[in-house]
Amino acid sequence: MRRKVFAVVLSLLIASAVGAAAHAATLNAYTVMPEKYATQVFEQFTKDTGIKVNFIRFSSGEALARLNAEKKNPQVDILLGGPADVYTAGCDAGVFAEYAPKEQELTPAEYRDPGNRWTGIGLIPLCFLTNTDFLKKNGMKAPESWQDLLDPAYKNGLQMADARTSGTATERIYTLIAIYGVDGAFDYQKKLHQNIQLYTKSGAGGALPIAQGQAASGVFYLVDALDIQQQGYPVVITYPKEGVTFGIEATGIINGAKNMDEAKAFVDWATSKKLGELFLAKKINYIPVVKGLVIDNPALDMSHVKLLTVGAEHKGDKRKEYVDRWVNEVIR
Amino acid sequence: MASSSMKRDPALVPVVAALWLALGVFIIYPFVRLLAVTFSSEDGGFSFENLAVVFSNSYDRLALVNSIWLAIAVAVMGTALGFCFAFAVVRIKMPAPLRWFISAVTVLPLISPPFTSSIALTLSLGPNGILLNLLGIPDFNIYGFWGTWMSESLTYFPVAFLTISSVLACIDPNFEDAGLSLGGSPFRVFRTVTLPLTMPAVANSILLLFACSLADFATPLVLAGHQFPVLPTQAYLQITGLYDLRGGAALSFALLVPALFVFFVQRWWVGRKSYVTVSGKSGAQTKPKGIGAAAETVILGVCAVVIAFIVFLYALITIGAFTKTWGLDNSFTLDSFAYVFNHGRKAIVDTLIIACVSTPIGGLIAVLVAYITQRKSFPCNALMEIVSLLNFALPGTVVGIAYVIAFNTSPLILTGTMSILVAAYVFRYDSAGIRSVIASLQQIDTSLEEASLSLGASSAATFRNVTLPLVVPALLAGMKYLFIHSMTAISATIFLVSVSWSLLTARILECMTELQFGNACAFSVVLIILVFIFNGLLTLLVRAAGFGYRGQGGN
Repeated sequence: MRRKVFAVVLSLLIASAVGAAAHAATLNAYTVMPEKYATQVFEQFTKDTGIKVNFIRFSSGEALARLNAEKKNPQVDILLGGPADVYTAGCDAGVFAEYAPKEQELTPAEYRDPGNRWTGIGLIPLCFLTNTDFLKKNGMKAPESWQDLLDPAYKNGLQMADARTSGTATERIYTLIAIYGVDGAFDYQKKLHQNIQLYTKSGAGGALPIAQGQAASGVFYLVDALDIQQQGYPVVITYPKEGVTFGIEATGIINGAKNMDEAKAFVDWATSKKLGELFLAKKINYIPVVKGLVIDNPALDMSHVKLLTVGAEHKGDKRKEYVDRWVNEVIR
Repeated sequence: MASSSMKRDPALVPVVAALWLALGVFIIYPFVRLLAVTFSSEDGGFSFENLAVVFSNSYDRLALVNSIWLAIAVAVMGTALGFCFAFAVVRIKMPAPLRWFISAVTVLPLISPPFTSSIALTLSLGPNGILLNLLGIPDFNIYGFWGTWMSESLTYFPVAFLTISSVLACIDPNFEDAGLSLGGSPFRVFRTVTLPLTMPAVANSILLLFACSLADFATPLVLAGHQFPVLPTQAYLQITGLYDLRGGAALSFALLVPALFVFFVQRWWVGRKSYVTVSGKSGAQTKPKGIGAAAETVILGVCAVVIAFIVFLYALITIGAFTKTWGLDNSFTLDSFAYVFNHGRKAIVDTLIIACVSTPIGGLIAVLVAYITQRKSFPCNALMEIVSLLNFALPGTVVGIAYVIAFNTSPLILTGTMSILVAAYVFRYDSAGIRSVIASLQQIDTSLEEASLSLGASSAATFRNVTLPLVVPALLAGMKYLFIHSMTAISATIFLVSVSWSLLTARILECMTELQFGNACAFSVVLIILVFIFNGLLTLLVRAAGFGYRGQGGN
């Protein structure tokens, strides 16, 4: 009797599992975009096209590791979000499929792959995020130069991302190299290391500790810094006068996608004006790259910020070399 | 000798074959695929290059040394705490509600994902932490060894508690009576009679905790920082950050050596002595004796301090779940729970289904493996015991990656399905079930089973009627552990969750990295409540199924 009940329960469970896995034509996605943003993006896409989306969120490194491991039997059709250098690395491994979106010309050529394997959907510059209570207590101004972060007042007070897992951290390295040259950048980071309290796994990881006064300051992508500021914490966002580089947030179709039509429909949609409009309407703080939109949020106005350009191709090629050097020279 | 069981128990041969098939597919096969990656160069040939890179790198060598020291420290501290709690609950006279309360609090750290307690610890002892401010300690750096050690000891001591209490509860107080009537002081009797009898449980607990700590990646990820690298985190960073599967595989390979070493030490240590305490020959049982007021006060004092700390940490999480914006706007809100039930329903249901499927399968496998390896003499039994523990010794992220490599291509395509998650849980976390059933079998005199066999009962009937009822408390403890891990584990599954099957813990980690602290806390609270409910149901189910339930073990 016991055994029968058990068998029935087990087969019911398995049946429901199989049932849940089999569904009508849908789009399966990995996203590097924070879940709360991705939800809104995919909901709008479903509203506009009727295509249902299943998705799961990973950090950019995790997503690429999985796409690589699943190459022979891809589990998803598209990747949404994540910096372009991750896409470049994926292209080298043959992860992304070629597709020229319908309204491709709306995206400036420098923000998309010449081989059409990914297209940019938004820009995210780096910035400094600093706790205002800390500044008040120490009678300091918010940092406005990379050199300001070397101030001994920040000793054991900086949290920023670990270069091994975070696109934010490698962006930081590209910026420093653009300013100080390769050797100069690593010399600077060795000095900066004296003030570091913790390197976090994700790019946004240090933002909450800074917001709560557990740490003083750090380097972040604008999208994460604005997010914590909008929650109402006492933080200030500043930009270094030497300049910052920016990430190109992108999207692309996975090679061998099982729902290829839906994947194409998504990339067409994401590279049209509709996604840019959604970003602005919902305060999803990526700066849209699509032409013909009026950006009225002052926080996204980059006219007073010195933006430095480093090609995504170069970032993808050099990433491993720079990260290895960061591990070997900076953190030990 | 080797073939005696095959001749005597032909009915068991297909069972053994099925076990080996399962172990072969879900442990050996992925492991071999992983080794192939570890020992292959970029062009596919055999090579030691990946390992050489690991050991030529001083940062990675430091990680290996750190991992071992941390695991030893956690095993010692966790087992000591576990023993104190087990002794308090099983042997010290106290009102029943208090006993229940202690057991419940003890299980808390186990049923919440490890990074939940890490975050609570950071909030209280981290920079500008609540406790630090309260105690007026200005400069304490939690990141590194101390923070990781504290968090892991707190997280894993319940494992020691479960293992030790189930055995402690089974010790016949008549042994202690004998010691007392020979004129020994209560403490002397404890030291010379009770303590030695719990040694198999203590040894198992040390082994388990050592392995837990060695393979844990979530706690060091939050608390170890860059000053205190450990191998599982290094492997994880290598794979996910540098997209370097070979390097990650090589780092995990380095972890296997200490894990297997401790395993053999433990086998040798326990294997030399007899720990039979359930002999079926005793007379009426008497009440357990105390160990003297002074020793009891010390034990209760330790328990009280630890319980206060745990309650404090989890109060933080509960408060966080009902707080608008942590540390800024502390007004009460149900927003976080609304978020959990609107956006997290699928994850909750998926997690429950997977845990409910994994637990009975794991229970069955635990009993079969333990029984066959301890009581029967099939060829390669020792190997079976080792193989069944292999996935537990490996860091979860590596098991996850090995599963993705092994099961994403034919002949067995499982990625994206529920089966791969169930398999990962069963074959990774069942070790606790197997260990506790083995520990409890080591206490049961084989003469009980021999009596049944010589009276003409079959092996199966003997197992069902004699052995099984005696090991049920241990089995129950093991199944609960598996269930809890199916609900809370993160490392093995971070690579296996898919768009069709998402898990609560992955959602919590998500919320953490996305700075949704309130939502992460609310998810944790829901998870903890669910585990409590299902834990209770599991106990009732086993009782209703008609097994006698002796002792306090696995409360």
